[in-house]
Amino acid sequence: MGQYRAWLEAYGAAFLDAAAWTLGVAVASFVCALLWGAILFFLRLNGGAWGRRAVDAYVQLLRNTPVLLPIYLIYFGFPLVGLLWPASICGGLALVLQNGAYICEIFRGGYKAIDRVQHDAAKSLGLMPWTAFRKVTLPQLLVHSIPALGNQAVLLLKDTSLLSAITVVELTMQAKVLTERTGAAYAPFLVAAVFYLFMVWAIEFLTRLALRGVRWR
Amino acid sequence: MQQVWPKIFARARTTPAPLASVMVLLLSLAAGQAQERSRLDEVLQRGSLIVVTLGTVPPFAFKDDKGELVGFDIDVARLAANALFRDPNKIEFVIVTSDGRWPAIESGRADMGVGGTTVYPDRAIRVAFTRAFIDSGISIMVAKSSGIKSLEDLNQEKYTVANLNNPQMADRAQLFFPKAKIITFDTPSGEFLAVKSGRAQALQIDTPTADYFAATSAKDFEVLPTLLTASQNNAIYLKPGDFKWWLWLDTFVSELRTGSLFPKYAEIYQKWFKKEPPPQKFYLPPAR
Repeated sequence: MGQYRAWLEAYGAAFLDAAAWTLGVAVASFVCALLWGAILFFLRLNGGAWGRRAVDAYVQLLRNTPVLLPIYLIYFGFPLVGLLWPASICGGLALVLQNGAYICEIFRGGYKAIDRVQHDAAKSLGLMPWTAFRKVTLPQLLVHSIPALGNQAVLLLKDTSLLSAITVVELTMQAKVLTERTGAAYAPFLVAAVFYLFMVWAIEFLTRLALRGVRWR
Repeated sequence: MQQVWPKIFARARTTPAPLASVMVLLLSLAAGQAQERSRLDEVLQRGSLIVVTLGTVPPFAFKDDKGELVGFDIDVARLAANALFRDPNKIEFVIVTSDGRWPAIESGRADMGVGGTTVYPDRAIRVAFTRAFIDSGISIMVAKSSGIKSLEDLNQEKYTVANLNNPQMADRAQLFFPKAKIITFDTPSGEFLAVKSGRAQALQIDTPTADYFAATSAKDFEVLPTLLTASQNNAIYLKPGDFKWWLWLDTFVSELRTGSLFPKYAEIYQKWFKKEPPPQKFYLPPAR
């Protein structure tokens, strides 16, 4: 164990920095992906036949390609049209585009789980469409969606490791750099794994908290 | 004590999942520490040599047009197999990415490693190296369109240099062009894509690899005439603590570089670098 302690003392600070990057990219991407997913879901619901088709095509395309592909395309492709965005933005955008598609599907599933009768009942009570959405649809939609959204947040967090391929020094890249410097086979990846574990654990905790929040209604 | 144990077990049941997983990881590491007999005996008994290598660093170790693993370092490994078994084909290659090299020997997946791997004191704490079998300098390749002609040109804030994630390059960037921005990739292909796409204007790479790429894509890239280092020791690496195995490998490299195997060394050196190797001893003429 001694070697691990010495190792942590020498390189612990670098890991904290990398963990901040992982967390920052993951949180920002997830918030944007939620928004993007909600917009897609809204278009699918209210955009008519063409809106539905367009969103479905988008979801199919993004869901059925490995996320590393859009990451590479945006990072190495955008400079060719003169857009030199930082690597973290490029990677984050790719994560938002894909996770938005997944989240749109989660919302769709949650919406379908609401009994048709609920909508009819809201209408017969004379609720305006917006009020019906806010008071009847949304609370149930959230109850149905939150566990899956928590899952998606975990997946997104782990996908941030792919940003190591485009020079973002997040946890995985930091582990790679340190394993290259020190020749330590396991310690860097072990430390990274522990960071990921605790982050996932925090997401699970927040998911439970959020679920309790909406169930209270 | 009788009262304490049930309490500990009672607590263990409520240990949060992350902690339990960490404990499992640590236990599995501790299990790998047991001492074993020399790897040399194991290799001889098995009748073949398992070598971990990289597949993306021409002309040291790379896949040729037919998809075959070839290169100078691959030939060195084959010479080792030949010295052990009188057969250069009694060998199995494990191809990994650069940061997969250390786990491959630490875990015992491979007997030794070779392939564009540089001796570095930070690494030598945990990895054993033989003496060097080749001097490989580090060169800077620049995009021709950048107009960079020297290291002094490069040392400006407006330039970005693509590195690999190894310590040599990070340290040399600090030393030679501290003002330039550094971005770090885990494969040479990432470095080249970065320069081609305009994300970086230059990249650091082993001199023989730079020469190889400059020959194949001469219209886009140029190798700066100044070397970042004239000498960089590339060697065979292995799991530390096995004196018998290390001694055999080090003796092999010594014979290769300065002794009985020098003619064969000169042959593969000529084949991959198109020039004569440095003389085997300072008082001997350069020819074989």
